[in-house]
Amino acid sequence: MELVYSQSRDRQVSAELPDRDLAIRARGGEMVAFETLVTRKTTAVVSLARRIVGNTEDARDVAQMVFLRVWNEIHRYDEKYSFNTWLYRIATNLSIDFLRSSRSRERAHGATLHIVREREESSASDATRNAEDAELARLFETVSSRLSEKQKAAFVLREMQDCETKEIAEILGCGESTVRNHLFNARRILRKEIGRLFPEFLRGRPLA
Amino acid sequence: MSVLCPILRGSFEDYRRDALPAPQRRMLREHLAACPECRNLAAAQDPAMLFARPFATEEVPEVDAKRILANVRTAVAFAETERRIGKSSRRKFASVAAAAAVFGALLLMAPRGGDRGVETAAVRPTPAAANGATAALQPVALATGTAEVEGVSTDATVYEWSPGAGREEPRVVWIVDRGLDI
Repeated sequence: MELVYSQSRDRQVSAELPDRDLAIRARGGEMVAFETLVTRKTTAVVSLARRIVGNTEDARDVAQMVFLRVWNEIHRYDEKYSFNTWLYRIATNLSIDFLRSSRSRERAHGATLHIVREREESSASDATRNAEDAELARLFETVSSRLSEKQKAAFVLREMQDCETKEIAEILGCGESTVRNHLFNARRILRKEIGRLFPEFLRGRPLA
Repeated sequence: MSVLCPILRGSFEDYRRDALPAPQRRMLREHLAACPECRNLAAAQDPAMLFARPFATEEVPEVDAKRILANVRTAVAFAETERRIGKSSRRKFASVAAAAAVFGALLLMAPRGGDRGVETAAVRPTPAAANGATAALQPVALATGTAEVEGVSTDATVYEWSPGAGREEPRVVWIVDRGLDI
């Protein structure tokens, strides 16, 4: 009885702590702190992974791998840096690895079919999403298949996660000029792909 | 069309070159999300500008979030168990390796064939030891029943190592008794 009370009190305390403090506690082996971080960051990690790997199902698998990696590597976390940047770095790298795997390649080739199916199923999350955001996300999934993994990750982090160039450089482990280069090339490819597949947008077609 | 439209339209090019400071960039993105006219104009100039807007974070349904947490919890428990097993087998391996090393060293140092059961009680210094250099390991003769080796069985071999032979330095002596059944 006392143990149950103590755990629920720990959870209450953890829920009020900032990410950095939770990460420090998790580094000390405190499972409650780690689980609070998982609960708090699930949406952000799934959202980022979904934009890179292209579908929700794989994004959830990636998110689980991300949190397991966080637990295994938490002793390397340096509290001088933002926990989000560190987490996004792991999430981006694992999403890129996933995208590179042959399995995800196959899924990427069938992305359009997947998108149609998702649209038909009209999941609960889609219903709550802003309709324009949903259409843009689908559009991005279709046209981004020609981007390299790094270009895609840089673009998602910059345009959809609204990260600063400096932060993206830290996440991708490269220089800021390389990030700008990735972004420049990603925009060029997207421009070409949208023009080829959806020319109506060039004539000012409204969204949704 | 608002008063902001003509001002912000002039910053499309800077946005594309990633040259806008953060506050202006944020303002433009928010404006493009709210103003269809500016958005269509931006998209007509560069279709990639369609993505220049704040995106809402997709909420994960509670059921899925709980499933993710449960899976992570299981994976962590599994990883921790594996780590513990790994540690204990590493420890076991280290003990076995150390025991094997000691056994191997003893085998190498053990006298071969007729060396067993040496009969005289004198220590045989090597030439190096005689010169004051580090002495080689030598089996010391055993005379059963002498006061010096009282209590040692006749099957035993006594080894002596005198690094400082000829000087007043401690000697290392150990006894290998093959008669013992451990």
